[in-house]
Amino acid sequence: MAKTTYYVPIGPIHPALKEPIRVEAEVEGEKIVKVDVKRGFAHRGIEYMGMKRNAIQTLYLSERICGICSISHPYAFVIGSEKALGIEAPHRAQYIRPIIAELERIHSHILWLGVIAHEIGFDSLLFWTWKGREKVLDVLELITGNRINYSMYMIGGVRRDLKESHIKALRDMITYYWEFTEHMKEVFLSDPVYKARTRGVAQVPKDMALKLNLVGPTARAAGLRMDIRQDIPFDAYADIDVKAVVPQDIVGEARGDAYDVTMVRIYEIEQSLDIIEYCIDNLPEGRILAIPNYIALLNKIKKTEGEGIGAYEAPRGEVIHYFRYDGTRDGPSVWKVVAPSYNNINSWGYCLLGAEVADIPVVVAYIDPCMCCNDRVAVVKDSTGKMLDYSYIHKRAIEKTRMLEKELGVRR
Amino acid sequence: MTLTAEEIFDRLKEELGDAILDYEIKEYKTGVKKPRTYKEVWMEIDRSAFRRAIEAIFKIEYPHLHFITGEDIGESIRMIYSFGLFHEHPWGEVSIIIKFDLPKNELILPTITDLMIGAETNEREIREMLGVEFDGLKNKRHLFLPDDWPEGKYPWRRDEYGVDDMIKHTHKSVKEIREERGEQSG
Repeated sequence: MAKTTYYVPIGPIHPALKEPIRVEAEVEGEKIVKVDVKRGFAHRGIEYMGMKRNAIQTLYLSERICGICSISHPYAFVIGSEKALGIEAPHRAQYIRPIIAELERIHSHILWLGVIAHEIGFDSLLFWTWKGREKVLDVLELITGNRINYSMYMIGGVRRDLKESHIKALRDMITYYWEFTEHMKEVFLSDPVYKARTRGVAQVPKDMALKLNLVGPTARAAGLRMDIRQDIPFDAYADIDVKAVVPQDIVGEARGDAYDVTMVRIYEIEQSLDIIEYCIDNLPEGRILAIPNYIALLNKIKKTEGEGIGAYEAPRGEVIHYFRYDGTRDGPSVWKVVAPSYNNINSWGYCLLGAEVADIPVVVAYIDPCMCCNDRVAVVKDSTGKMLDYSYIHKRAIEKTRMLEKELGVRR
Repeated sequence: MTLTAEEIFDRLKEELGDAILDYEIKEYKTGVKKPRTYKEVWMEIDRSAFRRAIEAIFKIEYPHLHFITGEDIGESIRMIYSFGLFHEHPWGEVSIIIKFDLPKNELILPTITDLMIGAETNEREIREMLGVEFDGLKNKRHLFLPDDWPEGKYPWRRDEYGVDDMIKHTHKSVKEIREERGEQSG
C-alpha cells in the first residue's frame, strides 16, 4: 500500500499557541515531512503609524510592540534616535536604564521557564515559577508605577529617578533571586523527566544557527557567543564587560536543544542580578534627562537630519531599530523594527522537519516566540472578553502601588 | 582575529573599487567610567555592484544579517542592507550598512538566500511590502499579508501602487460606505 501523507494545520488559534500564528505541517504517520509557517495574523502596521506621529508619541507606541518586554523596543528606539540626533544621555540615566532592562530580562526569562514547563505538561512547575516572578514585577511596579508598559525611557535619558527606597527594594530582590535560581537549577536542570523531554528536541547545531540568522538565547544555546551587550556595548554595559552566557562555558559542550536554552536562560538571570548590583553600587549623581523640555526636544528633532541604528539585546534576542530623521518633521521619516522572533521563527522549519507531532509544542515554545513583536500589536482584555479601558487599568495600578508602598514602608 | 572598521572598509574598497559612490565611518562614544568608541561603516554603492558587495562581506567573515529595509523616495526605492561582522567578539562587532537606489521600472535584485538561508524572511517581507522581486528566491508566499491580498498593492509604497485607496474607508462604517455608493443599507 502506498504511503499517504496528511496535512495538519495548527493555528492561527490553537490551545498550544498563546498568540496567533499558523504552522502548516504535512505528516507521514507521526513524522513531519513538510512544514510552512504563516505569520501576520496580528499585523497592524505600527511602523507606518510611527512615521505619521512625532518621536515622543512613537516612543510610547514602540513600547506597545511587544506584549511583555516593554523596555526592549523603547531601549533600541532611544539608542537609535540618540545616535541619529547626536544627543547624549546623562550618566545617571545611563546607569538607571540597564537596571530596568535587566529587571525585565529576569521576569521574561522566568515567564518563559513557566511556559516551557506548561508545554511539556508540568503545570505545578508553571505555577511555582510564576509565583517567583511576582517579586520582580512588584519591584518594577514600585520603581515605575506599572507592571508592564513602564513609560520610563525618553530620548536623552529616563523619566523617573531612583530613590533610596527603590535601591533597598532592589537589594532585597537580588537576595531573593539568588536563592530562587538555585532552586530553579534543581527543578529544571537536574530533573530526569525534564531532561528526557527536552534533550535532543529542537536541536540546532552552531553552523545552522549562523545560517538561519538566529539571535539571543536560541543562538547562544547552539554555542554562538553573540550578545549585543557584549558586542556593541552601550550605556553602563560598556563599563561592565558583559560576557555572553553559552552552554560550553557551563557544562563544556553546546548541543543547541531545548535543554540548553533552559540552562542559558537560568544562568542569564544570575548575570542580570550581577549587572543590577553593579549599577546600584556605582550609580552616578546628577541629572536624568539631557533635554528636560519636551517641546525643545521636538524642536531639535525637527531641525536635525540624520540616521542611526539602535540595537539592544532583549530577553529573547537582539532588537534592531533603524531610523532616518529628514529634518522636516518632528518624527522619524523611516522606521524599521526587527524583533527577535522575526529571525528566530526561521528555526521552526528546520527543527520540525523529521520531528514527531508531539514535539511541536516544545519546538514552538523553545525560542520564546512573540507574535506581538513579530506582528506588532497588543490588546488588553479581561476574562469576559471586554476590552479594558485606560481609566480602569490606571485606577487599579494606582491602588496596587499605594498598597505596595504601605507594605514596604515607603514615604512619598 | 578581528578587523577594525577601517580595515574592513579597505578590504571592501579593494573588491568594489569605484562602485563605492560614497562612504562614511561613523564614530560613537560609549561608556561612563571606561569611555571607548566604536565605529560603523556606512556605504552607498552602485546597484550593479550589490551582489559583489555581499560576496565581499561574506569573504571577510560569515556575517549576521541585521535587517533589510527599503524606502520609497519617488522615482526609485532606496534599499538598505545592514550586516554585523565579528559578532562573537567582545567590543568587536562592526556594522556595515549598504545603501543603493533601485529605479522603479527595474525592481529586481539577486537573492542572498543561497549564502544565508535566514535572509528569506527579510526578502519575503520586502517583496510583499515594496514590490521588489528577488531573483532566485524559492518561497514566494506572502509572509505577513494574507494570501488573497490584491496583486500589485504594496503597503510601504508611497505612489499609486500603495494602499491609499484601500485605507481611505478605514474610519467609516459599512453603512456609511454603502450609503455613499447608493446601495441600500441593511
